[in-house]
Order: sequence, then C-alpha cells, then structure tokens
Amino acid sequence: MIFDPVVMALLLVASLGMAGALAGGLFAAQLLRQWNPASGDARQIALERRTHLAATVLRLLLLAQMAALVLFVHNADRMAILFTGAMCALGTLNVNAYGMPAFLLMMAVFFLAALWLLVDAADREGRDYPLTRLKYGLLLMAAPVLLASGILQWLYFLNLDPNVITSCCSKLFTPEGSGVQAELSALPPASALTALFGGLALLAGLAALASWRPGTLAYAAYGLSGTLFFAVAIVAIISVISPYIYDTPVHHCPFCILKPQYGFIGYALYGPLFGASALALGVALLALWPAPASLHDALPHRMRRMTVLSAVLFALFALANLYAIATSDLILFH
Amino acid sequence: MMQRSRLFQRRSTPVLLMLGAGMALLLAEIACSGLCFADRLHARQRTAQLVAQLGLSDIALFTEARYTRHPSQADLFTPFQDAPGSLEHFPSGSLLTPPPHIVPTTGRARQSPPSPSSNQPDNRE
Amino acid sequence: MSGWKQWLARQRYLLDFTVAAMWRRRWRNLLLLLVYALVVFLLASVLFYGSALRRDAAAVLSEAPEVTVQRIVLGRHALSPPDWPDRLRGIRGTRQVQGRLWGYYYDRANGANYTIMVPSHFSPEHSLKPGEAIVGAAVKRLRDERGLGWLHLLSPADNRLLRLKIVRTLPAESELVSADLILVSEKDFRRFFHLKPEDGFTDITLRVRNRNEIDTVAAKISTLLPQARVITRRDILRTYENLFSWREGVVLAMLAAALAAFAIFAFDKASGLSAEERREIGVLKALGWDTRDVMAMKLWEGMLVSLLAFLFGVVAAWLHIYMFDAGVLVPVLKGWSVLYPQVALTPHVDALQLAALAFMTIVPFTAATLVPVWKAAITDPDVVMR
Repeated sequence: MIFDPVVMALLLVASLGMAGALAGGLFAAQLLRQWNPASGDARQIALERRTHLAATVLRLLLLAQMAALVLFVHNADRMAILFTGAMCALGTLNVNAYGMPAFLLMMAVFFLAALWLLVDAADREGRDYPLTRLKYGLLLMAAPVLLASGILQWLYFLNLDPNVITSCCSKLFTPEGSGVQAELSALPPASALTALFGGLALLAGLAALASWRPGTLAYAAYGLSGTLFFAVAIVAIISVISPYIYDTPVHHCPFCILKPQYGFIGYALYGPLFGASALALGVALLALWPAPASLHDALPHRMRRMTVLSAVLFALFALANLYAIATSDLILFH
Repeated sequence: MMQRSRLFQRRSTPVLLMLGAGMALLLAEIACSGLCFADRLHARQRTAQLVAQLGLSDIALFTEARYTRHPSQADLFTPFQDAPGSLEHFPSGSLLTPPPHIVPTTGRARQSPPSPSSNQPDNRE
Repeated sequence: MSGWKQWLARQRYLLDFTVAAMWRRRWRNLLLLLVYALVVFLLASVLFYGSALRRDAAAVLSEAPEVTVQRIVLGRHALSPPDWPDRLRGIRGTRQVQGRLWGYYYDRANGANYTIMVPSHFSPEHSLKPGEAIVGAAVKRLRDERGLGWLHLLSPADNRLLRLKIVRTLPAESELVSADLILVSEKDFRRFFHLKPEDGFTDITLRVRNRNEIDTVAAKISTLLPQARVITRRDILRTYENLFSWREGVVLAMLAAALAAFAIFAFDKASGLSAEERREIGVLKALGWDTRDVMAMKLWEGMLVSLLAFLFGVVAAWLHIYMFDAGVLVPVLKGWSVLYPQVALTPHVDALQLAALAFMTIVPFTAATLVPVWKAAITDPDVVMR
C-alpha cells in the first residue's frame, strides 16, 4: 500500500516528523544543559540563534503533524473498501497490529504539538526567551512519542495486506462484546448524557469564572477540567451520541460518524472537541507554570483569549451534539 | 475615497488579488466538477448498464495482453506469458498490479504465493 | 480583538515589504514560480487522472457479474464443461446463470487485440443473427476507415475468413469498457474458434438474489466444484481500486525524482543570496528588525510562492485532465496496445486529494528553504554593512 498518493504524503510527513523529533530532541537536550539567557558568551548567542531555526522548523512540522491526523483518519475511512470485513476507518486500522497504536500515538502527537505551539506562541511575545526552557523540555518529552508514531505509521502502511480479514466496527463496539470498546458501548445512555452536558455546563461556569476573576486558580481549574472533559466526551460519543446519529441503539462506532452518509457530522463533533481540549490543556500548563516577568502584561491577555476560544469551541461541540440528538429518529427516553 | 486609493497603492494588493483569483478558479472548478458534467455522469450510468447487460468484468484500458485486458480474470502467472521462466515484456505490466485476490502484492513479501486452487478461501469474504 | 487587528496589520505590512522585495528580483522569482507550478501541475494531473479513472471504473463495474466461475486446469484458466451452468443453477439464491463465451483475437493486419464475445441471453437488445456483429468504437475506428460496415476476420483455427456485417457500434461514451469488443452470435463464435458445444464455455457468470449472500454462494460453489476459481464482484472492484492506486503511486514515485530536483533547485535559489539581498537584510537589522522578523518576511516569501504555484498548478491540472482529456498523460499510459479507448473522465476533486497534494509539494519546498532563510536571517548587520 506504499504506492498510494495519500499514503505517500502521510509517510512523507511522518518521516519528516521522525527527523524533526531526532534533531529537535538532540537540540533540546543540549539547550536544557547549556541554556543561560543571562550570559552573553558566544555559546549562548549561537544557541539563541539556533532556537530561531529550531522553532520555525518545529512550528511548521508540528502543524503538519496535526493536519496529518485528519488526513490519516479520512484516508483510513476511504481505504475500508480494500479490506474484507472493514466498513469504516476502524476496520482499516485493525488490519494489522500497528494501526490502532499508530492512531492513538498520532492523537497524542496532536495534543503535544498543540501544547508546544501554544507555549511557543506565548514565548515569542517576550523578547528575552521567557518560556524557552519549558518549550524545549516539552519537546524532549514529545520527541519519543513523535518518533514512535512515525515508526508505527511506517510499520502500519508497510504491513497493510488486502487479504487479511479484518473486524468490523459493529463487532467491536457492541455491548455484547468484550474489551474496553464493549464496556464503553454498554454504558447507560442516561448517565452518559448527564456526564456530557453536566460537564459542558461545568466548563461554561468555569470559563465565566475565569473571565470574571482571572487568576491562576481559575485558569488551572478550567484548563484541567477541559482536558479531562475530552475523555468524558469520547465516552459519551461512543455510548449515546453515535446511536443517535445512526438512528439505532445497537451501533456505537465512533468512526462511522466520519462517513459521508452521515453528512461528515463526525468532523463537526471531533474538530471543535479536539481544538477546545488542546486549548484547555495549554491554558492549564501556562497557568500552572510560574509566569515569567517579561510576559507580565502579555500572558493574561493570551490566557483570556485562549480560554474564550476554547469555551467557544466547546459550545460548538455542544451544538453539534444537540443537532445530532434533535435530528435523530431514535428515541432513547420517554 | 482616501482609504480606497491607499488600498490600491499597497504593494501586496495585486498579489492578494492573484491569490484570490487562483482560489476562485479552484473553487469554480470544484463546483463545476459536480455541476457542469452531468452528461458524463449520465454516460457513466449508461455504461454501467451496458456492463450489466453484457456481463463485462474489466476495463479496456490496456488491450495488449490477456492479463492487462482482464486483470481481474487473470491467472497467477500470466505476466510471464504462460511459459515457465519467460519474462514479462509488456510495458503496461509495470503499471498494473496483480489483483489482490490472486496474490498479495502490496503487503509485505510473504510466503510463496498460493496456487489458484488453494486460493479459494481468499475469495470467501 | 484589537490584538488580532494589530497582528493582521503587522502581517499586511510584512507582506507589502515582502512583495516589494520580491518585485526587485522578479525574473528570478517568476522562474521559481513557473518551475514550482509545473511540478504541482504534473503531480496534480497524475492524482486527478488516477482517482477519476478509479471512480469511473468503480461506478461502471458496480454492475459487473456478482460471481464469475472459472475452471482451473494445470493452474491455468480452462474451458468450463457444458454441464456447469446447470449444476450452478442448483445452488439456492443464484439467478441468471449463464455460460459466457469470450476470447481474444490478435489481428495480424494491424497488430490489435480484440475481445470477441457472445452477448448475454439476458440482453435482447444485443442479440445477433449469424453474420452480424456489434463492435466497440475503437474497433470501428481501426477497422472501418472506409466506412463500409464490414469486418473480415481470419479464423485462427482454420484460416478461413469470417465476414461480419457491422450492424451497430457500441456508444463511444462506453469505451472505457467496450473499446475492443466485437460481439458476434454464438454460432459464428463457435465456428470461428472451432469450439464445439460439448467443449463448454469460457467461464460462467451468475447473479445472486440477495447481495448479502454473495459470499455464501461463492463458498458453496467452491465446495460443489473444487476445480473452480470463484471471482466475486468485490474482488473485481478491489482489483481496480488497487490497480489505479498503485499506478498513481508508481508514477508519483517516479515524479519524486523531479520533486527532489525541484527541492534542490529551491534550496539553491534560497541559499544563493545576492550581495544586494544581504545588504537589504543588514539594513533591516540595523533598523531594529530582529531575526524573527526577517525570518517571518522570508517565510512570507516562500508561502506566497507556494500558494500561487499550488493554486495555478492545480487549476491547470484540472483543465488538462477534464477539459483536454489528459492529453499529456495519455501517450505515457498507452503502452503497446494499438486499441486505446478515448475516455472522457467524470470530474471529481476531493479534499483528501488536495491535502495529499499540498503535503507532497509544499512540505518539501518549505523544508528545502528553511535553513537558507535562517542563515540569511541571522546575519549580523555589521558583517554585511562593512
């Protein structure tokens, strides 16, 4: 399957990501050992100059990795017709043992990349490299994940064998099955809906609090709850929102909603959700990290903007959910 | 009025206009793909009908050899022109892959390819 | 919100400045843009052509027989015995079981390969009397230049001449599947190839009443006729999905060399800063621009070139494939066949294609220019101004 245009594009991005992870990781290790903005010696100057290159490269690279996640999932969905038994992206991912781990790591890369880009944007507002240490510490953490996701993508695409009979989502995401997916599918819809909209209401409250009384505590509370809410939202999508979209109480697949026959509603759900959660994660980190003096004016503005944007995206996510429920023919509650 | 003349004096305006024009053309093409070619879509439907009527199973893109004219019906070894040891020599053979139900070509190299008769289970989907 | 406005205004000024700087080197930038757009055009043409062909093939072959049964002898396709259709009719769920008669015919006069076929009984509008033929549009083009309406074929079995009156030509719009077809009556077919009724058929096709039972029926056939190879419609569709992806991929991989050459070209252009450019950067830095601003300006430059080249390349490729019927690509794809269908593909552009294309062109270009851009941006003003 290597000779497929989309796969080649994905592997190109994955390979660049791996190269970036290696080079960036090495640079980050060097920087963390030698970084000293107070000093004016030649080594520090050279290091500062190299951060400009590194930051620019990483910015573009990580943006590409984030875009690659969307491309990867969409491509998996498209390739489902090639595999016996596959109905949607899930079947394609299950063709071999590398698909699912590659996908999960790509999601991790998505959030790490978003976090890095948010810290980087804040860092650039100060002229004295205020968050550079944090930025490259983060990179050092993200590099192995990026590397592993690249390797897994290569393994996944190299081992795609059209003769393998894969498993369909309707067999995995069913309350009768075994495993995590089955347990998620079996969750009672009422409690899932309560958690979903209760969580959204809590987030709205916290966002209001943060804009009314901005402060470390308020931002941290919003950021952390927003991050945790991501898991709640995914569970709710599997357990109750998907059945609403498919108009049947037995189908729980979180991938089929990305298909054209459901009007690509999955993208309307996941897009805002991923964006909002990533922003919340950024808010949490920037709130908890001691604020550098040079960002004393800029950082509060930035945090406020990030919180508002995140809250707006969560609101869009809520609307997409309400739309899915309102237009459904399925009646779960009387 | 002042605003407007200043807008046109700006260096970036013509470049942005060019970008906008390119974008508009691309969008026009995308829209046109769905709208202006209804006749081709109908022709495709009529062709599908012909396929059903005649019971055709392949695309007539490469007519030079059996395995390129009817790839889905080809034998395992047809690119080798039926004689053991002879090499494939049609150029379009390099553009075609053997069908997946005959031999896995796009996965990793595997154990020896199944013979057509032991190939049966692969056809059961 | 004022933050955004400010940011936008800043970018706009950077852009103004960038355009002015690019205009001073307009010929060089124009050349870069042209080469870049050409690369995008080539890649996009291949992508569009491949995916349009794939979609058309899938749409057309979605009506192919649900199940085809071939007899395999000595590992190769052999004639199916005449009693097979009846035995297959015994399987529950099958309908329209029929022996297909089709074969290849190499025309020594012009070196073309035809597919000679007997039309299905289930298609009365194609029924033929002995001595009559229906031909595909490409055959008509090749054999009937004088418009006489007759086809003379030399039987490979006994060197006797078969004279057929062309009663109809299959519509040109269906050339994708019918270009090389010659439909003849069963009597003519058997006489032409010296095929006695007891020899049987080329293969057997059948339809299945319930789509969901295709696999069950295929499995039953395998048990009933162990000699048979069973090809389902899904196999056919997968063959073509695979085939065209592969073909696109192979051509793209070949174009990767062009892409690499282009990346080197871009790298070279970006690193070979003229003395004038160096002075420009020196002046900017002396005026208080810092490394980030210079890099931002240079990145704007790359982005402008990328975007323009991408848009123009894609727009031109679309016109090439769908308006001019892939004039540049077709000769490459023709291979050795004398008969080649003239196909007008149904246009289709999707986001996935465009995204893949953007990844494949913009990413290498940007990657190639980043280091030279940075090298230029970190230049000390005093080094250049001295």
